[in-house]
Amino acid sequence: MRKLFVFTGILALTLPLLAQQPQAPAPGAPAGQAQGAQGGRGGGRGRGNQPPLGPVNALGQEVRRAPTPTGPAPRLPDGTVDLNGLWNGGGPVGSIAQGLEQGETLPLLPKSKEIMTDRATRETDDPHLWCMPMGVPRSTPYPFRFVQNYTHKAPTHMFIVHEGNIHSFRQIFMDGRKHPAELDPTWFGHSIGWFDNKDTLVIDTVGFNDKFWFDRQGTPHTEQLHTIERWTRVNEGTLRNEVTIEDPGAFSRPFTTTWTARLAGPGDEIMEYICQENNQYGIAGGHKNPFAN
Amino acid sequence: MKGKLGVLVACLSLLGSGAGLVAHHSFSTEYDGAKTFKLTGAVSKVEWTNPHVRFYVDVVEDGKTETWNMELASPSALARNGWTSRTLKVGDKVTVEGYAAKVAPNRGNARSVITADGRSLFAGAADDNAPGGGGNQ
Repeated sequence: MRKLFVFTGILALTLPLLAQQPQAPAPGAPAGQAQGAQGGRGGGRGRGNQPPLGPVNALGQEVRRAPTPTGPAPRLPDGTVDLNGLWNGGGPVGSIAQGLEQGETLPLLPKSKEIMTDRATRETDDPHLWCMPMGVPRSTPYPFRFVQNYTHKAPTHMFIVHEGNIHSFRQIFMDGRKHPAELDPTWFGHSIGWFDNKDTLVIDTVGFNDKFWFDRQGTPHTEQLHTIERWTRVNEGTLRNEVTIEDPGAFSRPFTTTWTARLAGPGDEIMEYICQENNQYGIAGGHKNPFAN
Repeated sequence: MKGKLGVLVACLSLLGSGAGLVAHHSFSTEYDGAKTFKLTGAVSKVEWTNPHVRFYVDVVEDGKTETWNMELASPSALARNGWTSRTLKVGDKVTVEGYAAKVAPNRGNARSVITADGRSLFAGAADDNAPGGGGNQ
């Protein structure tokens, strides 16, 4: 009983602090830690930063997660880095600005600042909350996996299989083709890829729609968006994603953000995540689905 | 007491580690971190569905039954932490602590579930600034 009293006391002291709403930063400025990130330069509490002992879990049991392995990155028989594994993180969630170099801010055009100011008043309109895809380079709380398809001579496609949001995949053409001259805009765009010095997977993507938000700050982009991702497995358990973003419709210059993905624990696999199945988001908070007719 | 101690350990460990389960929805847009509840009733339905697992608890008060809709993490997040679709069963008597919805009645973000046989189930539904929740991943 005494312990329960102590518990209640600590909780009473702690909850008001934890319950504070994060203050919205100025458009383009890195968000605070509470906004979260996926291993961006600006910190945040991504899965990769979890302590060795994972969360206290079901049935009162602790799940002991193995430390992220730090051995050399595995290689394919031809020497190319092997990206196989289940990964968590690797992109923004709370704020894309968290992936910038320290002291840098997003080169937002005035129009983009206006969009962010507007979106700050309707944060629940974020398409991601309504089971829409996250686009690029946004990350999710769920893992992903690279899957390469080969002929006997060479790779043809790379797929990035995402558990969430909505059990989706990206298709990257690895056969040397170019982007088509004209594209219909899509959530994940048209991607071509290649390995740079057998160390880094480069993914060049155009043809995006302008519907997804880069992050919960509502950082916008246009259909002129062009992303260049450079995925480097720096060691067995760590994958670095340097993303250069060009979008003259939203930003005054290209900029690069850097993120880290961590290898999931042994035995973990992609699970089913059909977001549309029973999404009751909005009811508890009284928010309307902006995509409902 | 045993169950309460389990909740104590779970909550304190979470607060200390910053760890928690994850979801793609923001806690703060749906639930009130200052509006806690603790209620006891019988599980009337379990929805092992995306994006959030939900279970419903019939709470009897003054002879009147009210059904609460309790939100948990996603099935995949719960499964990675030891839950299965059979962890909670219809008919189980449970005591649930959590945070109430901002506007909708009888909806809660469950943070701990204690069954009548003393099992203490950490729930964890949310992400970013959920009290006792983990990082926003």
